[in-house]
Amino acid sequence: MKFGLFYELQLPKPYDADQWHDDQEHRIVKEALEQIELADRLGFDYVFIVEHHFLEEYSHSSAPEVFLAAASQRTKNIRLGHGIVLMPPPYNHPARVAERIAMLDLVSDGRVEFGTGESSSEMEMGGFGVRREEKKAMWEEATRECLRMMTEVPYPGYEGTYFAMPSRNVIPKPLQKPHPPVWVAAARRETTMVAARLGIGSLGFSFETADEARERVEEYYRLIREECFPIGKAINPALAVLSVLSCFDSEEEAIAKGLEGAQFFSYSLGYYYSPFTGGAHKPGRVHLYRQFRDTPPEQRWGALAEWFRGFAGYRGGFGEEPQDEVGRALWRAAQRGGCIGTPEFIRETLLRYEEAHLDVMLFVAQCGARKHEDIMDSLYRFGTKVLPEFKERHEQHQRWRRQQLAPVDYPIVSSI
Amino acid sequence: MAGKVDRIQDPELRASLQAAQESLRKGDYRDVVRRSAEAFLELVRRRPELLEGQEGIRRLFMFPRLGVDLAVSPGSPPTLKWERERFSFSEAVTYLEFATEQLLQAGM
Repeated sequence: MKFGLFYELQLPKPYDADQWHDDQEHRIVKEALEQIELADRLGFDYVFIVEHHFLEEYSHSSAPEVFLAAASQRTKNIRLGHGIVLMPPPYNHPARVAERIAMLDLVSDGRVEFGTGESSSEMEMGGFGVRREEKKAMWEEATRECLRMMTEVPYPGYEGTYFAMPSRNVIPKPLQKPHPPVWVAAARRETTMVAARLGIGSLGFSFETADEARERVEEYYRLIREECFPIGKAINPALAVLSVLSCFDSEEEAIAKGLEGAQFFSYSLGYYYSPFTGGAHKPGRVHLYRQFRDTPPEQRWGALAEWFRGFAGYRGGFGEEPQDEVGRALWRAAQRGGCIGTPEFIRETLLRYEEAHLDVMLFVAQCGARKHEDIMDSLYRFGTKVLPEFKERHEQHQRWRRQQLAPVDYPIVSSI
Repeated sequence: MAGKVDRIQDPELRASLQAAQESLRKGDYRDVVRRSAEAFLELVRRRPELLEGQEGIRRLFMFPRLGVDLAVSPGSPPTLKWERERFSFSEAVTYLEFATEQLLQAGM
């Protein structure tokens, strides 16, 4: 199993001020780059960073290609992942995506992971004029054509449902041939199975348990073997799962330094993705972190539950896991989870995912108001006390994977 | 290795989704969407309790809204509301996977 970091660039407003201080966005970017430098030295395999727009406090990462370009010049080995590029053409013209991915691949000496997705928050879709009913079809059309642009000389042009362009040779071409490994954001199980059928990696954002991951791994690899119609020129069979990391020498310290950030991550995610609160967000006027802090800890999930009750009939309290996949992901993100604890505790958790043949575990380390020095400390402890043994065993996973993929005829471009 | 559709016990529903799988291979995505959405409607027609209470509301909410939605009116079973006739591969797979998972979870 490989490991990576996952960044939203969360930036809660200062509790006692209505807006951020002038230097805060600058500081969070520099700190994140420093964390990635450390992760690279420690042997983390991936960093993935989101593209989100207008989601104040939750994510200040609207230009991930710029951030990853900076990271590429500070690191040597870590793979640079878009987690993800918003592919509907109203966000990004497919030719511009192809150009940017290729240039990043060139400046990083071929370290790009091309994560794709469709978005689902009302703030973003409304801001760019994307209809919810069409976003998946937009994603598929734009992703397929973008991969053609990266590989065909010249690109013959296209008259599609959601964009059109005449024949052009889209340059530069990526260093990785035929194109970098492709992924899709999968907040729901159905999308993981779409990924398998299109021959691309699944970035699972629903905080699956090891048992759920095992079931998905089995079905995903079966579909890759038996039902795959690749969207690109090469396939990237890979499953990644998300968890929240806080690794310290005592349980108490890990929770004290890590849990509130996880809870804010979930709280702010729930806020923007609920059609009631997210769609009604008042730009520049809401103080999400103060709202979060002023809610007693035992009621924070209760407050989320109120929003869920509004649109999905959710009735659970803090101790009851929702049954629908989206609500469950938020609930799990707000809990202590399996990767907030001592190195021994986290190791035990990860062993279960390794046994399930998961390809990649991605950690949210930077979230809420977590301090930079604590994040660095946690990464260092994980990287020195937990990571090495999993790296040593990764060859076993690669053997298992080769067996799974033996009947597959398609070219494979994958970093697993 | 048997796929998930083959694990559906009800012969009629299994056959319908197996036909949907075949349509997927042939590129008839509208047929995949139609068969999958109708399989879900058949499930809730036979098991109306699945739409009761908050669990039922949640189940309706999770139905993919990618060109075919559910029209729900009190006291009547849901019907399909078609917004368009053409569907993409990924939309078709989403409806197929949703229906398959719902049928299996319901023990059908």
